[in-house]
Order: sequence, then structure tokens, then C-alpha cells
Amino acid sequence: MSNLFDKTTDALASSIALRQVRHNVTAANIANAETPNYHAKKVDFEDALARALDLDGNNSLSTSHGQHYAVGGKPAVEAGIYENPDIALNNDGNTVDMEREMSNLAENSILMKAAIQLINKKMAAMKYAISETR
Amino acid sequence: MSDFLSGFRIGGSGMAAQRARQNSISSNIANINTTRTPEGGPYRRKDVVFTAMPDAKSFGDILSVNDPKADFNRVQVTDVVSDKRAPLLKYDPTHPDANEEGYVAFPNINMMEEMTNMVQATRSYEANVQAIQATKDMALSALEIGR
Repeated sequence: MSNLFDKTTDALASSIALRQVRHNVTAANIANAETPNYHAKKVDFEDALARALDLDGNNSLSTSHGQHYAVGGKPAVEAGIYENPDIALNNDGNTVDMEREMSNLAENSILMKAAIQLINKKMAAMKYAISETR
Repeated sequence: MSDFLSGFRIGGSGMAAQRARQNSISSNIANINTTRTPEGGPYRRKDVVFTAMPDAKSFGDILSVNDPKADFNRVQVTDVVSDKRAPLLKYDPTHPDANEEGYVAFPNINMMEEMTNMVQATRSYEANVQAIQATKDMALSALEIGR
């Protein structure tokens, strides 16, 4: 983690990356809404984000001395993609729920824009602090 | 393989598939009374077969299909099949294609069925357009970071 950007910025960056994965999964589900035997895919967004942010502190060793190296640190964001089990099968074996996918699409894109706005606000605050002496 | 371009590719594949389906529906409606075809006999109702294909942009990607990250599937029309339903026989001895008993074999196409399929194809196409629109919005707003 750099000193310039705090944990929140890192979190927002991870969240944007995960939103992108989730968006691609949703787009794939919509494209395959009428493919026989296609099973809808789902991203375990919250779990992946929690792992990426290391909320429980399991991923990295803490340092107690200036010459210690932090082991672990920020792990690469990797979202688990799995087939969505909780939708009844149609006659053709397709499990895509169109209404759900469209609302996921809208929700995902709004939340991604929200994350981007938050990053922009942080940047704006930083810019303000930098330019304050001039 | 999770960039915005794969979102565009996937949505585009969905649009192309629905357009192919729309073409087959148009062909069915246009040929609802066709009694002669190059292969002989009345026109047979055409239907498209959709197959989910792993989204891959290079040969290397295709080789690594088992990679869980290659989990986004494009949709592709892999086959156009002719309907197996028996033709409808109508009694019309004056028709040039009537058989000895005076019956003409017409394509077994149900107009209601074709119209419902058409609405479904249109809506699916719109859903894919919507998905591409969302991809575009997200990509553009990502460009705004730090402005």
C-alpha cells in the first residue's frame, strides 16, 4: 500500500475491478438468455471484496519493527464465478432470469459510477491540499 | 479476460445471434405459402440453434478454456435446422403442385408462433443493446477518474 493513497482508494479500486468482472458475467448471461442448457453465472462480490481488502487481517503478517518486511500485503483481486443455483430450470435447461440480470446490470453500473465518484472526490480533496499554499 | 472490450464482444454476440434468429423468423413468415424449394417439396420452417462459447480473443485463450476466468460465454448460432413437422395438406385440385388426390402440401408454419418468437427476439436484442450501453457508460465513467 502506498502512502499517497489510503486504504479507501485501494478498496474503491478493487471494487471497480470486481464490478467489471460482475458486469461481464451479467452481459454473458443476457447474451445467453436463450441458449439451451446454459446455466446463469454469478459473482460472489462481497466475499471477493472482503478478501481483497483483507478485512479480517488474515492475508498479511503485521510488522512490529522498522526493518520487518510485510509479508502478504494486498492480494490480487480474484472473484469466484459460479453457476447460480437458486433459479428454477426452464424446459430447455436454461437458468437465466432476465429481470434479475437487467436489474443486476443497472445496479452494477450505478454502484461502479458511485465508486468512481468517490475516487474523484478523494482526488479533488488531495488536489485542494496540494494547491493550498499557492 | 475481464476488460470492457469483452463486455462489448459478449453483447455484440448476443445481438448478432438475435439478428440471425430474426432473419429465420422473417424467412418463415415470408415463405408461409411456399410450395416449391430447391431441395424439393414445400418450404420447411427454419430455426436457429444457440450455443454458449467461451469468450476468447486469441488462439491461446481458446486453449485455456478450462481457466475459470474464461467463464464469460459469448453466444453463437452454430446451426440452422429445418423443422421436422409434417406439411399441412390442403385440398385444392386447381393448384399446380397438387398431388393425384388433389391435395397440396403447404409449410406447417403457425403465424402466431412466429409472431411471439419475433417479439421475444426483439426484446432479447434490446436487452443486449442495454448491456452494451451499460458497458459503454461504465467505460466512459472510468475514463473520468482523476479529472
